[in-house]
Amino acid sequence: MNGLPESFAVTTRGLSMRYGEQTALDGVDLRIPEGAVYVLIGANGAGKSTAMKVLLNLERPDAGRVEVFGLDTASHGPEVRAQAGYIPESHEHDYKWMTCGRLIRHAAVHYPAWDHAYAEQLVRVFGVHPERRIGTLSKGETRRVQFVLALAHRPPLLLLDEPTDGLDPMARNRALTQLAEHLADTPTTVLISTHHIHEVESLADHVGMLSAGRLVAQLSRDEMRRTVLRYRVEVPEGWQPPGELRIASTRRSPGGREVQWTLVGEERDVTARLHAAGATVREVTPLALEEAALAFLGEEETA
Amino acid sequence: MSEMTLHPAPRWRDVLVEQVRIVGLSLRPVLLVVIVVLAAFTFLIARDLLSGGEGFDSSGMFPTPLISFLFPFAIWLHEKPFGSSFLWIFPVERRRLALAKVFAGFVWLALALALFTAWLLALGALAGVGPAGTIMRIPYIGTIATYLFGSALLLGLRHPLKWVFGTAGLLLLVGGVSQALEHSYGMNTLLGSSRLFFATERLHSAWGSLPGPGQWILGTFLSLGAGLAALLAAASRHRERRRR
Repeated sequence: MNGLPESFAVTTRGLSMRYGEQTALDGVDLRIPEGAVYVLIGANGAGKSTAMKVLLNLERPDAGRVEVFGLDTASHGPEVRAQAGYIPESHEHDYKWMTCGRLIRHAAVHYPAWDHAYAEQLVRVFGVHPERRIGTLSKGETRRVQFVLALAHRPPLLLLDEPTDGLDPMARNRALTQLAEHLADTPTTVLISTHHIHEVESLADHVGMLSAGRLVAQLSRDEMRRTVLRYRVEVPEGWQPPGELRIASTRRSPGGREVQWTLVGEERDVTARLHAAGATVREVTPLALEEAALAFLGEEETA
Repeated sequence: MSEMTLHPAPRWRDVLVEQVRIVGLSLRPVLLVVIVVLAAFTFLIARDLLSGGEGFDSSGMFPTPLISFLFPFAIWLHEKPFGSSFLWIFPVERRRLALAKVFAGFVWLALALALFTAWLLALGALAGVGPAGTIMRIPYIGTIATYLFGSALLLGLRHPLKWVFGTAGLLLLVGGVSQALEHSYGMNTLLGSSRLFFATERLHSAWGSLPGPGQWILGTFLSLGAGLAALLAAASRHRERRRR
């Protein structure tokens, strides 16, 4: 992978998994650099949650290998989980009978690195009421408890599966601010799966895109900013784009003479090809992360 | 890899102690039911004693093995051994964690047995029945063995209750059919439900009148050994470490 550093917190090789007839993961080769905030994007059922479970050895892949900080998860599952803070996709909790405070104490026993003072701070920040029973919490309140559990042992790896799902706008803002502060204080590699890409745009520095279990793109934020661009192009009547262009999305003006394309590739190369084909490039604009991701996934689905 | 300090996994002893605590806390509703039942029995027995009755029948055995067989289902009520439970997120090897939970349940079962024995002794003293007449009615080894078998079923099978009720239903069906067809086809002889019953009765009386401690030790060793072997085999389904 171009431009990525050599040191990876997470690597997977040929990761494949099926649930019956359904393909969850298909030869996925993830590379998450140490210290990166890696955003995993994909439609529902693309395999994002399965990938996270496999990283923690909660699910066993049919093929492939996973290494987390150099540890093979198949043979070092507990050691890997000791390095990870995990927010699962589900808001359901097994221990509905337990109070939030007891659940936090229960989790603390399992992580020798648990920072009790920090846990108390997180409880205050997230507005968790230790005396409340888990079974009486709303989705958002359960999510806030899950944030405390995931962050309080300052794990080197955070796996956040739709972390802001169920949170109200204030709580979402508080959670993302706390996450940013956490990352500033604690050296952490983060893998976030989310549909709300704009929320993590300021944090993300790497992006991976899953479609039907396949990792269709994996690149750094800079690479994405540089290579996924929107081109406003004037074209002659009956003009056809050159076949070698990677077109992510197309929008044509009502008259049909002006076309807006999201194209993948180095700007200089793409512009040169368009010129050579007889088109005139009027404007080239960068895309927000969400637009770029959507363009990529759209391209994959079209293909 | 750059140099970084990895977080340690928890100490096994801490996990074990926490499981004992957490299983104890989760069993509070069960404890409440037990207290209510025992209180009701105490009341009935005391009333009978005060009105000149015998207090309680001292001929049969207490059905503690049946209760202990179902006890693991109460312990695992909030978790799915084969599903994605919160429990499995912890940095402890799954098989060990499952066994820690079984051990925690055993600790509470042993405590419950001890308290039940104390309750029984107190009632026996009240009714004028000696300790031998009360304690001997609790099949301790059988209670522990069925707890181990119950735990093994729960950890070894994805749908243990279906298996338990399915097997019980099948046996009842076979028994019923053989009873119905006994005279015309001799199915009873073939399937042997009645014969099995009598054989079990004979076996029971034979076990009940074991002559010496040697055979008792052998019986204990066999039943607990089989229970333990079944439990370990079932727990191995949750083994996490795989060799490449």
